[in-house]
Amino acid sequence: MASFATDGKVCIEREIEVSPLEVDDLLTRFDVVETSKWISRNNFLKVCLQFPDELLSVSAQVYEEIKKRVDVDLYILGDTSYASCCVDTVAAMHVQANAVVHYGHTCLSKCNIPVFYVLPQKELDVSTTMEIMRENFQKGVKLCLFYGEEYEHFKEEITKHWFQHYPNSYIACVEKEENEIRFLGRVIQDSSGKLYPVQELENCICLYLGSRGQTLFNYTISVAAKEWYVLDPDTKKVEHLEETSWFKRRRFLVEKCKDANVVGILVCKLAGDQTKDIIGRMKELCRINGKKSYIVSVGKPNVAKLANFPEIDIYVMIACPENDLYSNRDFYKPLMYPYELEVALNSNREPYFSTHVTDYDDLLPGKRHYCEMDHVKEATDVSLITGKIRETNVGSTITSSMALEEKQNWALENIGQNLQDRSWKGLEQKLGETEVKEAEQGRKGIPLHYANEPDKEK
Amino acid sequence: MVNFTVDEIRGMMDKKRNIRNMSVIAHVDHGKSTLTDSLVSKAGIIAGARAGETRFTDTRKDEQDRCITIKSTAISMYFELEEKDLVFITNADQREKSEKGFLINLIDSPGHVDFSSEVTAALRVTDGALVVVDCVSGVCVQTETVLRQAIAERIKPILFMNKMDRALLELQLESEELYQTFQRIVENVNVIIATYSDDSGPMGEVRVDPSKGSVGFGSGLHGWAFTLKQFAEMYADKFKIDLVKLMNRLWGENFFNATTKKWAKQKDGDNKRSFCMYVLDPIYKVFDAIMNFKKDEIDSLLKKIGVTIKHEDSDKDGKALLKVVMRTWLPAGEALLQMIAIHLPSPVVAQKYRMEMLYEGPHDDEAAIGIKNCDPEAPLMMYVSKMVPTSDKGRFYAFGRVFSGKVVTGQKARIMGPNFQPGKKEDLYEKTIQRTILMMGRYVEAIEDVPSGNICGLVGVDQFLVKTGTITTFKNAHNMKVMKFSVSPVVRVAVEPKNPADLPKLVEGLKRLAKSDPMVQCINEESGEHIVAGAGELHLEICLKDLEEDHACIPIKKSDPVVSYRETVNEESDQMCLSKSPNKHNRLFMKATPMPEGLPEDIDEGRVNPRDDFKTRARYLTEKYEYDVTEARKIWCFGPEGTGPNILVDCSKGVQYLNEIKDSVVAGFQWAAKEGVMAEENLRGVRFNIYDVTLHTDAIHRGGGQIIPTTRRCLYACLLTAKPRLMEPVYLCEIQCPEVAVGGIYGVLNRRRGHVFEESQVAGTPMFVVKAFLPVNESFGFTADLRSNTGGQAFPQCVFDHWQVLPGDPCEAGSKPYIVVQETRKRKGLKEGLPDLNSYLDKL
Repeated sequence: MASFATDGKVCIEREIEVSPLEVDDLLTRFDVVETSKWISRNNFLKVCLQFPDELLSVSAQVYEEIKKRVDVDLYILGDTSYASCCVDTVAAMHVQANAVVHYGHTCLSKCNIPVFYVLPQKELDVSTTMEIMRENFQKGVKLCLFYGEEYEHFKEEITKHWFQHYPNSYIACVEKEENEIRFLGRVIQDSSGKLYPVQELENCICLYLGSRGQTLFNYTISVAAKEWYVLDPDTKKVEHLEETSWFKRRRFLVEKCKDANVVGILVCKLAGDQTKDIIGRMKELCRINGKKSYIVSVGKPNVAKLANFPEIDIYVMIACPENDLYSNRDFYKPLMYPYELEVALNSNREPYFSTHVTDYDDLLPGKRHYCEMDHVKEATDVSLITGKIRETNVGSTITSSMALEEKQNWALENIGQNLQDRSWKGLEQKLGETEVKEAEQGRKGIPLHYANEPDKEK
Repeated sequence: MVNFTVDEIRGMMDKKRNIRNMSVIAHVDHGKSTLTDSLVSKAGIIAGARAGETRFTDTRKDEQDRCITIKSTAISMYFELEEKDLVFITNADQREKSEKGFLINLIDSPGHVDFSSEVTAALRVTDGALVVVDCVSGVCVQTETVLRQAIAERIKPILFMNKMDRALLELQLESEELYQTFQRIVENVNVIIATYSDDSGPMGEVRVDPSKGSVGFGSGLHGWAFTLKQFAEMYADKFKIDLVKLMNRLWGENFFNATTKKWAKQKDGDNKRSFCMYVLDPIYKVFDAIMNFKKDEIDSLLKKIGVTIKHEDSDKDGKALLKVVMRTWLPAGEALLQMIAIHLPSPVVAQKYRMEMLYEGPHDDEAAIGIKNCDPEAPLMMYVSKMVPTSDKGRFYAFGRVFSGKVVTGQKARIMGPNFQPGKKEDLYEKTIQRTILMMGRYVEAIEDVPSGNICGLVGVDQFLVKTGTITTFKNAHNMKVMKFSVSPVVRVAVEPKNPADLPKLVEGLKRLAKSDPMVQCINEESGEHIVAGAGELHLEICLKDLEEDHACIPIKKSDPVVSYRETVNEESDQMCLSKSPNKHNRLFMKATPMPEGLPEDIDEGRVNPRDDFKTRARYLTEKYEYDVTEARKIWCFGPEGTGPNILVDCSKGVQYLNEIKDSVVAGFQWAAKEGVMAEENLRGVRFNIYDVTLHTDAIHRGGGQIIPTTRRCLYACLLTAKPRLMEPVYLCEIQCPEVAVGGIYGVLNRRRGHVFEESQVAGTPMFVVKAFLPVNESFGFTADLRSNTGGQAFPQCVFDHWQVLPGDPCEAGSKPYIVVQETRKRKGLKEGLPDLNSYLDKL
């Protein structure tokens, strides 16, 4: 799955399987003809071809094939800044490209540049799969089928079979175009092709056709269905999915966020205006709750990078929902979703949640899960995590000239508090205390093992 | 009925020398609440005839139903002492001139061990303690525990031997036997007192002495009591002996020969112990006459003791008559009042020597002087020791004692929680005190202000305090010391609402519960589970009931009780553990070793603590635990939470930039100490040594990001190479039972991995006391199990005692600790299986 690697070593050492492809195969698998048509139809002059790591080996071939068909400037993008499922608009902007062709797994999230998605393709034995479904699910129940995007090329066949057996059920199809009703890249429709909002699924049993992974996980936590099942065509097994303990942990983090004094807004996505908007919203939420917030941008985050800011109590990560860092327990301070910060700090939101909003886009004004922010009153409360009183210390509105000074003092004091607790506050000169020495030779060699290093273990 | 008014009480509050703040403490079922009734009835709050049955201070319905005190309850009472008794008060600070009235603020506390935190809270705000001992069962565990606590808090004790009616009616003890029983109890109590204090201490003489009148005898249930003073008064005129001298004669090895009229110091054929002769004999006679229906004797006896029976009682006989007679002859309220007024210290006296125990700040600042002098004009210093629920759901009265200054309705004060540090703003609130109130058992009365030396409640500060805190008007005030409890919350259950959507209500309820009980812990764990932790099963049961019915008001699902474990190590790490930072430029070389026995406890108790001067601490560690003195001076920190029983020691020499990374290493240590490697439980009793560190020369490459996670990894490697072990909490369990039941006890204990270390007979009774260690994990359902195996004759009292290594290697599949680790990991949502050393340990 396209996720951030937490350890640089893994990135370097990772071996990627490469299988040579025939040209014919290549044309169909990567939709070369379609792609070319799309480019020429829209008169794009500069187009980027974005490949995930595992497809880089064929990138040149694809490039050649497209170049043969349309005469435009083509660029290959690799090693995407954050996650390869997202469109790397920033890299595209470097060459001032008009459009991006995205290959491989995609999260289908919104972006502000024309994109042509070339979905991955996988073989599927539709009739056997349908057989397994029929064995496991009765006709009467209301079902909704989510199929993995790698089976999009079987869409017609799957749809046909599905509505034959379950005529009153729904199917969630891949929808590449952004629209009102689309939810995490899918639209829900019935046999007549009528579209429904995602709330329709509340009384349905949902079934995911594909392998387990972050995509499926995001559906299970954000679609409020009666039950969730997964059918993996490779293993031919149906499994029931439940994420109650995951939700428990998330609710704990919401509480933890209420305790936090300093929130780090970790920016791991650049594409789109909505990123700017959500950062602004997170900042505002922190401000009205009297919490300090810092915007942190460290490229791909990892444990070491984030531990450099020990003063930050909790991070809210603005990132593609399809990454597994949110649930990672190795971080010194936990990472949370923007939605969780909303639940913690926006008093207008329902404090209890059993479905999640992974896509922060939905939290913005005018969207599905937008919720007005309210003025926060000063209040105190007991924290069940620390067992201490926690105070909503709303920065008082400036009323007089003295208030400004007081406010500054307060801010200084807050910063000073963290510094005071440190034993090391900076370089100490120790003038006259250290004896003068001649310069010595330092260490030699590479960090993995310096030449003059003592062998401690022996 | 009530023979005093709020105004009268407010008037008395200013006469600080005539105030007595006292708590009633004892073992469970020794009759505290019942005895308290006698005083309450003397104050006219309940009818005299019903005293002993009402248990006025048991205000909760479940307390009345179960006949057990759960919460401590305060009540203020006003009494007047007669002129002849006033002369016994010799200390000028114990009484205002020309004032006969006394204001007694009494706190009745629960006796069951599970609720001993309530006792601690009560002791803090009082100066004296009435220790009640059932003369049939004698001094029990809990008597000792609460007495020890009282002495440690510099609370002066007086003793009351309760349930004399049982000794006479049920056990039919001979008078000499009864004397011996009394004598033994007095001795036992004095031994405990002597162990924890000495007479040359600041409190002066603490021991109790019947001949001085600081020991009372009687029956709370029947409402009669006496001290030797009462009897000495009866005889003083007749014998023409000075009252004080006679009191001395009436106790101990003093014998009187009725025929020769001679006193002797030794027993011989003709003489009789004075206590038996002059004190017990008359009582025995009254009992004998009334209980055996010797009608004619009764009348003459009554005349002799000067009791006239009221008309409405004249047709009573047997026990009912006995009660009336004894109550009229030796009214319990009177005797108790005298004991309290004469022998317990006034705030003026007590605060002089208690200040240094109570105040954390310098002993010569304004607050300290104010406390010392109990000065109502000094800045306000009040300690809030607990929260009492109000009828308004979710709101509490902050209950506490004014030690200095005056607390006034509408006053602006500083409210400081236990984490407040002078000069910082954490846990500090400046708010208005909405109302001051007087706590009167089940009623409260509003009052304008309360001066120093008194106990009262406050409205409007509960939001700013969790359980306890200090309230002051002095800007530079330090905190009053936090209370130390004798029990720990070691039994835990996970709770969740039956309807998941009720979770916010449950959370709100847990917050209220956390306030309402001094001991209970409500914790939201990393896994998201909500845990309620209490001192024992009964405590938890009550807490959960309160949670469900009063605080959350929703149906709740609760898990089976579980205990929390601690992770420790058994040996020194078998290799030098090296971990490299992610950029490979920094290396840490460390080892873990177990702490010597006793050190973790020393840290728990605060005998070794992070705030000590490092040189003094190093000397202590060197002398007691043979730590190397240079190493002991370089303890970087304690953990978890900066105070826990694990230490990080710098054993390196001449490492460059080491002080720069100290904060990062400490942060990593706190992290690892809080979440151990085996099951993310707290560590206990582990010492980590840093032997060497290599660091990158550029500060940017040795920042927190490189060092914090690396420290954690290195510490985990240290733990894994040092034979990791689990520790479980163990109860000290005291079981009282008749001899026949002892066999049954052994059976039950054996089955539950308990082991008996002491078995003895309670002198003068047929009862046996068995003392055993019992793992808390095995104690669930122990009481019921024990009862069914002993025919309901054995009653256990369990109190957390220590942590003990759970035998077996948690790394060995199938062993008991292994199962515990896996269960815990599963519950916490961690990866099952064992942690892999290779992911923490790096090679050079």
